[in-house]
Amino acid sequence: MKNVVKELRSSQGLSQATLAISVGVSRQTINSIESGRYLPSLPLAIALARFFGATVEEVFDVDA
Amino acid sequence: MSTHESTVRNRKWVTPVTALAIGLGYLVAGLLGDNLEFGVFGLVLMVAVGGAFWLVRTRSETVAGLLDRRDERINAIDASASLFAGMTTLAVVLGAFMVEIARGQDGMPYAALGAVAGVAYVAALVWGRLRR
Repeated sequence: MKNVVKELRSSQGLSQATLAISVGVSRQTINSIESGRYLPSLPLAIALARFFGATVEEVFDVDA
Repeated sequence: MSTHESTVRNRKWVTPVTALAIGLGYLVAGLLGDNLEFGVFGLVLMVAVGGAFWLVRTRSETVAGLLDRRDERINAIDASASLFAGMTTLAVVLGAFMVEIARGQDGMPYAALGAVAGVAYVAALVWGRLRR
């Protein structure tokens, strides 16, 4: 499943570490999500979407 | 300090304290079995393992995640690794049980270990089914 976490994070000038702290996970987990190696749980997906002021479907492409 | 922060701080001690408790268990077993060398070595080894985890946590996000249990990805990896270790152990126990039977023995203690594993699996299955 593709996502735009990296694009959203970069557009706000945030580091992976900063985003990780904000949503309560490790920097490695953010890196894994961005590269598509790890599919986050629903609570984490919602937390990421809320952080960026978007919906889960805007952050994660369920059809890709 | 929030309850969550307090819980996370307390969780960080679980692994080192568990390692210390196991080490003390080795020491007591060694003393009871008149094998002080084993007891002291076991205690030193487990203190070293717990201490290594504690020291490395600031340099490794993986170790930190294993200690504070906050990261869902690390928790999932830990669960998978635990499952693999458990299934490997079970396979070895079953293999050893068959070997013992083939050698004309009663299969102990592997029969008992296998039975414990089976009962634990069913109990976990029932518990999980009731909760989800």
